[in-house]
Amino acid sequence: MAVETVINAQVLATAERLVVEMRSGNEDQAARALDDLVRAREVSLFQELGKLTREFHDALASFRVDSRVTDLAEKDIPDARERLNHVITMTQNAADRTMSAVEHSLPLVEDIANVAVNLRSQWQRFQKREMNAQEFRELAKSIDVFLGTTETKSADLKSKLNDVLMAQDFQDLTGQIIKRVITLVEDVEANLVNLIKISSQKVVPVNTHPEYRESIKAEGPVVPGVVTNGAVAGQDAVDDLLSSLGF
Amino acid sequence: MKILIVDDFSTMRRIIKNLLRDLGFNNTAEADDGKTALPMLKTGEFQFLVTDWNMPGMQGIDLLKAVRAEDNIKTLPVLMVTAEQKREQIVAAAEAGVNGYIVKPFTAATLKEKIDKIFQRIEGNA
Repeated sequence: MAVETVINAQVLATAERLVVEMRSGNEDQAARALDDLVRAREVSLFQELGKLTREFHDALASFRVDSRVTDLAEKDIPDARERLNHVITMTQNAADRTMSAVEHSLPLVEDIANVAVNLRSQWQRFQKREMNAQEFRELAKSIDVFLGTTETKSADLKSKLNDVLMAQDFQDLTGQIIKRVITLVEDVEANLVNLIKISSQKVVPVNTHPEYRESIKAEGPVVPGVVTNGAVAGQDAVDDLLSSLGF
Repeated sequence: MKILIVDDFSTMRRIIKNLLRDLGFNNTAEADDGKTALPMLKTGEFQFLVTDWNMPGMQGIDLLKAVRAEDNIKTLPVLMVTAEQKREQIVAAAEAGVNGYIVKPFTAATLKEKIDKIFQRIEGNA
Protein backbone atom coordinates (compact mmCIF):
# COMPACT_ATOMS: atom_id res chain seq x y z
CA MET A 1 0.00 0.00 0.00
CA ALA A 2 2.75 2.41 1.02
CA VAL A 3 4.76 1.49 -2.09
CA GLU A 4 1.71 2.09 -4.30
CA THR A 5 1.12 5.50 -2.74
CA VAL A 6 4.71 6.51 -3.40
CA ILE A 7 4.46 5.26 -7.00
CA ASN A 8 1.17 7.10 -7.55
CA ALA A 9 2.67 10.34 -6.19
CA GLN A 10 5.67 9.94 -8.53
CA VAL A 11 3.39 9.32 -11.52
CA LEU A 12 1.26 12.34 -10.62
CA ALA A 13 4.39 14.55 -10.31
CA THR A 14 5.69 13.33 -13.68
CA ALA A 15 2.28 13.92 -15.32
CA GLU A 16 2.19 17.47 -13.96
CA ARG A 17 5.76 18.01 -15.22
CA LEU A 18 4.63 16.74 -18.66
CA VAL A 19 1.76 19.24 -18.77
CA VAL A 20 4.01 22.12 -17.66
CA GLU A 21 6.75 21.28 -20.21
CA MET A 22 4.21 20.90 -23.08
CA ARG A 23 2.56 24.23 -22.24
CA SER A 24 6.00 25.84 -22.14
CA GLY A 25 6.81 24.29 -25.54
CA ASN A 26 9.85 22.37 -24.21
CA GLU A 27 9.48 19.37 -26.48
CA ASP A 28 12.63 17.55 -25.27
CA GLN A 29 11.65 17.91 -21.63
CA ALA A 30 8.08 16.86 -22.42
CA ALA A 31 9.31 13.75 -24.30
CA ARG A 32 11.51 12.80 -21.30
CA ALA A 33 8.58 13.22 -18.91
CA LEU A 34 6.46 11.00 -21.17
CA ASP A 35 9.23 8.33 -21.15
CA ASP A 36 9.35 8.52 -17.33
CA LEU A 37 5.58 7.99 -17.20
CA VAL A 38 5.77 4.91 -19.40
CA ARG A 39 8.65 3.49 -17.30
CA ALA A 40 6.71 4.05 -14.06
CA ARG A 41 3.76 2.18 -15.58
CA GLU A 42 6.09 -0.71 -16.51
CA VAL A 43 7.56 -0.85 -12.97
CA SER A 44 4.13 -1.14 -11.33
CA LEU A 45 3.12 -3.74 -13.93
CA PHE A 46 6.21 -5.84 -13.11
CA GLN A 47 5.53 -5.46 -9.40
CA GLU A 48 1.97 -6.65 -9.88
CA LEU A 49 3.17 -9.54 -12.02
CA GLY A 50 5.72 -10.46 -9.32
CA LYS A 51 3.00 -10.45 -6.67
CA LEU A 52 0.75 -12.63 -8.80
CA THR A 53 3.61 -15.07 -9.47
CA ARG A 54 4.33 -15.37 -5.75
CA GLU A 55 0.66 -15.97 -4.93
CA PHE A 56 0.46 -18.55 -7.68
CA HIS A 57 3.57 -20.29 -6.33
CA ASP A 58 2.20 -20.34 -2.77
CA ALA A 59 -1.14 -21.67 -3.96
CA LEU A 60 0.62 -24.41 -5.91
CA ALA A 61 2.80 -25.31 -2.92
CA SER A 62 -0.15 -25.50 -0.55
CA PHE A 63 -2.10 -27.50 -3.11
CA ARG A 64 0.73 -30.02 -3.23
CA VAL A 65 0.61 -30.38 0.56
CA ASP A 66 -3.19 -30.56 0.47
CA SER A 67 -3.17 -33.37 -2.06
CA ARG A 68 -0.64 -35.31 0.08
CA VAL A 69 -2.90 -34.85 3.11
CA THR A 70 -5.87 -36.04 1.04
CA ASP A 71 -3.84 -39.07 -0.02
CA LEU A 72 -2.96 -39.79 3.57
CA ALA A 73 -6.56 -39.55 4.71
CA GLU A 74 -8.12 -41.43 1.80
CA LYS A 75 -5.54 -44.06 1.08
CA ASP A 76 -2.63 -44.38 3.48
CA ILE A 77 -4.49 -44.31 6.80
CA PRO A 78 -7.09 -46.97 5.80
CA ASP A 79 -4.18 -48.91 4.33
CA ALA A 80 -2.34 -48.70 7.67
CA ARG A 81 -5.50 -49.84 9.47
CA GLU A 82 -5.62 -52.89 7.21
CA ARG A 83 -1.94 -53.58 7.83
CA LEU A 84 -2.36 -53.36 11.59
CA ASN A 85 -5.42 -55.63 11.44
CA HIS A 86 -3.27 -58.04 9.52
CA VAL A 87 -0.69 -57.88 12.31
CA ILE A 88 -3.40 -58.83 14.81
CA THR A 89 -4.46 -61.73 12.59
CA MET A 90 -0.88 -62.96 12.18
CA THR A 91 -0.05 -62.79 15.88
CA GLN A 92 -3.35 -64.50 16.68
CA ASN A 93 -2.61 -67.31 14.20
CA ALA A 94 0.90 -67.73 15.59
CA ALA A 95 -0.43 -67.90 19.15
CA ASP A 96 -3.09 -70.43 18.10
CA ARG A 97 -0.57 -72.61 16.27
CA THR A 98 1.81 -72.51 19.23
CA MET A 99 -0.86 -73.26 21.79
CA SER A 100 -2.35 -76.07 19.71
CA ALA A 101 1.10 -77.65 19.47
CA VAL A 102 1.66 -77.29 23.20
CA GLU A 103 -1.80 -78.61 24.07
CA HIS A 104 -1.11 -81.61 21.82
CA SER A 105 2.37 -82.16 23.31
CA LEU A 106 1.61 -81.91 27.02
CA PRO A 107 -0.43 -85.17 27.21
CA LEU A 108 2.32 -86.96 25.20
CA VAL A 109 4.94 -85.96 27.76
CA GLU A 110 2.59 -86.76 30.64
CA ASP A 111 1.92 -90.26 29.19
CA ILE A 112 5.63 -90.98 28.74
CA ALA A 113 6.37 -89.73 32.27
CA ASN A 114 3.53 -91.75 33.85
CA VAL A 115 4.50 -95.02 32.17
CA ALA A 116 8.18 -94.39 33.00
CA VAL A 117 7.37 -93.91 36.69
CA ASN A 118 5.37 -97.13 36.70
CA LEU A 119 8.07 -99.11 34.85
CA ARG A 120 10.79 -97.76 37.12
CA SER A 121 9.05 -98.98 40.27
CA GLN A 122 8.63 -102.43 38.67
CA TRP A 123 12.25 -102.40 37.53
CA GLN A 124 13.34 -101.66 41.09
CA ARG A 125 11.31 -104.65 42.29
CA PHE A 126 13.11 -106.78 39.70
CA GLN A 127 16.51 -105.51 40.86
CA LYS A 128 15.64 -106.35 44.44
CA ARG A 129 14.66 -109.83 43.20
CA GLU A 130 11.08 -109.36 44.34
CA MET A 131 9.66 -110.39 40.97
CA ASN A 132 8.63 -113.85 39.80
CA ALA A 133 9.17 -115.14 36.27
CA GLN A 134 5.62 -114.41 35.12
CA GLU A 135 5.78 -110.84 36.40
CA PHE A 136 9.16 -110.38 34.72
CA ARG A 137 7.75 -111.56 31.39
CA GLU A 138 4.96 -108.99 31.72
CA LEU A 139 7.53 -106.30 32.63
CA ALA A 140 9.63 -107.17 29.58
CA LYS A 141 6.52 -106.90 27.41
CA SER A 142 5.59 -103.54 28.99
CA ILE A 143 9.11 -102.23 28.39
CA ASP A 144 8.88 -103.30 24.75
CA VAL A 145 5.53 -101.50 24.34
CA PHE A 146 6.92 -98.44 26.16
CA LEU A 147 9.97 -98.22 23.90
CA GLY A 148 7.72 -98.45 20.85
CA THR A 149 5.28 -95.75 21.99
CA THR A 150 8.13 -93.53 23.21
CA GLU A 151 9.61 -93.68 19.73
CA THR A 152 6.28 -92.75 18.12
CA LYS A 153 5.45 -90.07 20.67
CA SER A 154 8.95 -88.54 20.46
CA ALA A 155 8.55 -88.21 16.69
CA ASP A 156 5.14 -86.60 17.24
CA LEU A 157 6.63 -84.29 19.87
CA LYS A 158 9.48 -83.31 17.58
CA SER A 159 7.05 -82.34 14.82
CA LYS A 160 5.00 -80.24 17.29
CA LEU A 161 8.14 -78.48 18.54
CA ASN A 162 8.95 -77.69 14.91
CA ASP A 163 5.44 -76.24 14.59
CA VAL A 164 6.16 -73.97 17.55
CA LEU A 165 9.42 -72.90 15.96
CA MET A 166 7.81 -72.17 12.60
CA ALA A 167 4.94 -70.26 14.20
CA GLN A 168 7.44 -67.59 15.27
CA ASP A 169 7.88 -66.39 11.69
CA PHE A 170 5.23 -63.75 12.38
CA GLN A 171 7.83 -61.64 14.23
CA ASP A 172 9.73 -60.80 11.05
CA LEU A 173 6.59 -60.03 9.02
CA THR A 174 4.72 -58.05 11.65
CA GLY A 175 7.93 -56.15 12.42
CA GLN A 176 8.19 -55.03 8.82
CA ILE A 177 4.54 -53.99 8.67
CA ILE A 178 4.75 -52.05 11.92
CA LYS A 179 7.89 -50.26 10.72
CA ARG A 180 6.01 -49.14 7.60
CA VAL A 181 3.16 -47.83 9.71
CA ILE A 182 5.65 -45.93 11.88
CA THR A 183 7.02 -44.29 8.71
CA LEU A 184 3.48 -43.35 7.73
CA VAL A 185 2.84 -41.81 11.14
CA GLU A 186 6.01 -39.73 10.74
CA ASP A 187 4.79 -38.63 7.31
CA VAL A 188 1.42 -37.60 8.75
CA GLU A 189 3.20 -35.68 11.48
CA ALA A 190 5.39 -33.79 8.98
CA ASN A 191 2.36 -32.91 6.85
CA LEU A 192 0.38 -31.70 9.82
CA VAL A 193 3.28 -29.45 10.80
CA ASN A 194 3.40 -28.09 7.20
CA LEU A 195 -0.34 -27.52 7.20
CA ILE A 196 -0.09 -25.54 10.41
CA LYS A 197 2.77 -23.48 8.96
CA ILE A 198 0.80 -22.70 5.78
CA SER A 199 -2.37 -21.76 7.56
CA SER A 200 -0.03 -19.79 9.87
CA GLN A 201 -2.77 -19.55 12.40
CA LYS A 202 -2.19 -19.89 16.06
CA VAL A 203 -3.08 -23.45 17.00
CA VAL A 204 -5.55 -23.49 19.84
CA PRO A 205 -5.51 -26.77 21.77
CA VAL A 206 -8.94 -28.38 21.95
CA ASN A 207 -10.14 -30.20 25.07
CA THR A 208 -6.81 -30.76 26.71
CA HIS A 209 -8.13 -30.14 30.19
CA PRO A 210 -6.81 -33.13 32.11
CA GLU A 211 -9.72 -32.98 34.53
CA TYR A 212 -12.07 -34.01 31.70
CA ARG A 213 -10.29 -37.32 31.32
CA GLU A 214 -11.57 -40.23 33.27
CA SER A 215 -8.69 -41.26 35.48
CA ILE A 216 -9.64 -44.94 35.35
CA LYS A 217 -10.33 -45.17 31.61
CA ALA A 218 -8.80 -48.33 30.13
CA GLU A 219 -5.58 -47.48 28.28
CA GLY A 220 -4.15 -50.88 27.39
CA PRO A 221 -0.67 -52.18 28.15
CA VAL A 222 2.05 -49.87 29.37
CA VAL A 223 4.54 -49.47 26.49
CA PRO A 224 8.26 -49.00 27.25
CA GLY A 225 9.27 -45.47 26.30
CA VAL A 226 5.70 -44.15 26.47
CA VAL A 227 4.98 -42.40 29.73
CA THR A 228 1.68 -43.38 31.36
CA ASN A 229 0.87 -41.07 34.22
CA GLY A 230 -0.01 -42.85 37.43
CA ALA A 231 1.03 -46.33 36.26
CA VAL A 232 2.54 -48.54 38.94
CA ALA A 233 5.59 -50.68 38.19
CA GLY A 234 4.46 -54.29 37.85
CA GLN A 235 2.83 -56.94 40.02
CA ASP A 236 4.85 -56.22 43.18
CA ALA A 237 3.79 -52.58 43.14
CA VAL A 238 0.16 -53.66 42.59
CA ASP A 239 0.43 -56.02 45.57
CA ASP A 240 1.95 -53.28 47.74
CA LEU A 241 -0.80 -50.86 46.78
CA LEU A 242 -3.54 -53.39 47.46
CA SER A 243 -2.03 -54.40 50.80
CA SER A 244 -1.91 -50.71 51.75
CA LEU A 245 -5.65 -50.71 51.04
CA GLY A 246 -6.16 -53.61 53.44
CA PHE A 247 -5.95 -56.51 50.96
CA MET B 1 -15.67 -75.65 40.87
CA LYS B 2 -16.68 -73.93 37.64
CA ILE B 3 -14.68 -70.88 36.54
CA LEU B 4 -15.64 -68.27 33.95
CA ILE B 5 -12.77 -66.69 31.99
CA VAL B 6 -13.59 -63.33 30.40
CA ASP B 7 -11.18 -61.74 27.92
CA ASP B 8 -11.66 -60.32 24.42
CA PHE B 9 -8.52 -62.09 23.15
CA SER B 10 -9.01 -65.82 22.65
CA THR B 11 -5.25 -66.34 23.07
CA MET B 12 -5.34 -64.99 26.60
CA ARG B 13 -8.47 -67.01 27.43
CA ARG B 14 -6.70 -70.12 26.21
CA ILE B 15 -3.56 -69.38 28.24
CA ILE B 16 -5.57 -68.81 31.41
CA LYS B 17 -7.64 -71.93 30.71
CA ASN B 18 -4.46 -74.04 30.36
CA LEU B 19 -2.89 -72.54 33.49
CA LEU B 20 -6.07 -73.18 35.48
CA ARG B 21 -6.17 -76.77 34.23
CA ASP B 22 -2.60 -77.18 35.43
CA LEU B 23 -3.73 -75.95 38.85
CA GLY B 24 -6.44 -78.61 38.86
CA PHE B 25 -9.37 -76.49 37.68
CA ASN B 26 -10.73 -78.45 34.74
CA ASN B 27 -14.21 -76.99 34.61
CA THR B 28 -13.99 -73.65 32.82
CA ALA B 29 -16.06 -71.64 30.38
CA GLU B 30 -15.20 -68.55 28.33
CA ALA B 31 -16.79 -65.22 27.40
CA ASP B 32 -15.34 -62.42 25.27
CA ASP B 33 -16.67 -59.41 27.18
CA GLY B 34 -18.77 -58.34 30.15
CA LYS B 35 -21.99 -58.27 28.16
CA THR B 36 -21.69 -61.95 27.24
CA ALA B 37 -20.35 -62.89 30.66
CA LEU B 38 -23.04 -61.32 32.86
CA PRO B 39 -26.00 -63.50 31.73
CA MET B 40 -23.78 -66.58 32.10
CA LEU B 41 -22.82 -65.55 35.64
CA LYS B 42 -26.43 -64.78 36.57
CA THR B 43 -27.32 -68.45 36.08
CA GLY B 44 -25.33 -69.03 39.28
CA GLU B 45 -23.35 -71.96 37.87
CA PHE B 46 -19.94 -70.31 38.35
CA GLN B 47 -18.01 -70.18 41.59
CA PHE B 48 -15.12 -68.05 40.36
CA LEU B 49 -14.60 -65.27 37.81
CA VAL B 50 -11.37 -64.32 36.05
CA THR B 51 -11.80 -61.16 33.98
CA ASP B 52 -9.80 -58.74 31.86
CA TRP B 53 -10.44 -54.99 32.23
CA ASN B 54 -10.13 -53.52 28.73
CA MET B 55 -12.79 -55.14 26.51
CA PRO B 56 -15.25 -53.84 23.93
CA GLY B 57 -18.89 -53.89 24.98
CA MET B 58 -18.85 -54.15 28.75
CA GLN B 59 -15.50 -53.61 30.45
CA GLY B 60 -14.19 -55.74 33.30
CA ILE B 61 -14.60 -53.03 35.93
CA ASP B 62 -18.28 -52.63 34.94
CA LEU B 63 -18.75 -56.40 34.98
CA LEU B 64 -17.31 -56.45 38.50
CA LYS B 65 -19.72 -53.70 39.60
CA ALA B 66 -22.64 -55.51 37.92
CA VAL B 67 -21.74 -58.75 39.72
CA ARG B 68 -21.55 -56.97 43.08
CA ALA B 69 -24.95 -55.38 42.40
CA GLU B 70 -26.63 -58.72 41.61
CA ASP B 71 -28.02 -60.42 44.72
CA ASN B 72 -27.41 -64.07 43.84
CA ILE B 73 -23.83 -63.59 42.68
CA LYS B 74 -22.61 -60.61 44.68
CA THR B 75 -20.17 -62.69 46.76
CA LEU B 76 -18.59 -64.35 43.70
CA PRO B 77 -14.78 -64.17 43.95
CA VAL B 78 -13.44 -62.00 41.12
CA LEU B 79 -9.84 -62.03 39.93
CA MET B 80 -8.88 -59.19 37.59
CA VAL B 81 -6.16 -60.11 35.07
CA THR B 82 -5.32 -57.01 33.05
CA ALA B 83 -2.70 -54.80 31.42
CA GLU B 84 -4.24 -51.78 33.17
CA GLN B 85 -1.94 -50.75 35.98
CA LYS B 86 -2.65 -47.19 36.94
CA ARG B 87 -2.88 -46.46 40.62
CA GLU B 88 -6.41 -44.99 40.25
CA GLN B 89 -7.57 -48.07 38.35
CA ILE B 90 -6.30 -50.48 40.99
CA VAL B 91 -7.89 -48.38 43.73
CA ALA B 92 -11.16 -48.27 41.74
CA ALA B 93 -11.11 -52.05 41.32
CA ALA B 94 -10.45 -52.50 45.04
CA GLU B 95 -13.32 -50.17 45.88
CA ALA B 96 -15.61 -52.07 43.49
CA GLY B 97 -14.80 -55.21 45.48
CA VAL B 98 -12.23 -57.10 43.44
CA ASN B 99 -10.67 -60.11 45.23
CA GLY B 100 -7.36 -60.18 43.38
CA TYR B 101 -5.52 -58.10 40.78
CA ILE B 102 -2.91 -59.47 38.38
CA VAL B 103 -1.12 -57.33 35.80
CA LYS B 104 -0.22 -58.74 32.39
CA PRO B 105 2.17 -60.19 31.46
CA PHE B 106 1.96 -62.60 34.37
CA THR B 107 3.39 -65.98 35.32
CA ALA B 108 1.74 -69.27 36.24
CA ALA B 109 3.18 -68.83 39.75
CA THR B 110 1.48 -65.44 40.17
CA LEU B 111 -1.86 -66.86 39.07
CA LYS B 112 -1.54 -69.74 41.54
CA GLU B 113 -0.47 -67.43 44.36
CA LYS B 114 -3.41 -65.04 43.88
CA ILE B 115 -6.00 -67.81 43.54
CA ASP B 116 -4.63 -69.54 46.66
CA LYS B 117 -4.75 -66.25 48.55
CA ILE B 118 -8.36 -65.59 47.50
CA PHE B 119 -9.48 -69.03 48.69
CA GLN B 120 -7.51 -68.74 51.94
CA ARG B 121 -9.27 -65.46 52.68
CA ILE B 122 -12.69 -66.87 51.78
CA GLU B 123 -12.12 -69.89 54.01
CA GLY B 124 -10.79 -67.62 56.76
CA ASN B 125 -13.97 -65.55 56.63
CA ALA B 126 -16.28 -68.53 56.49
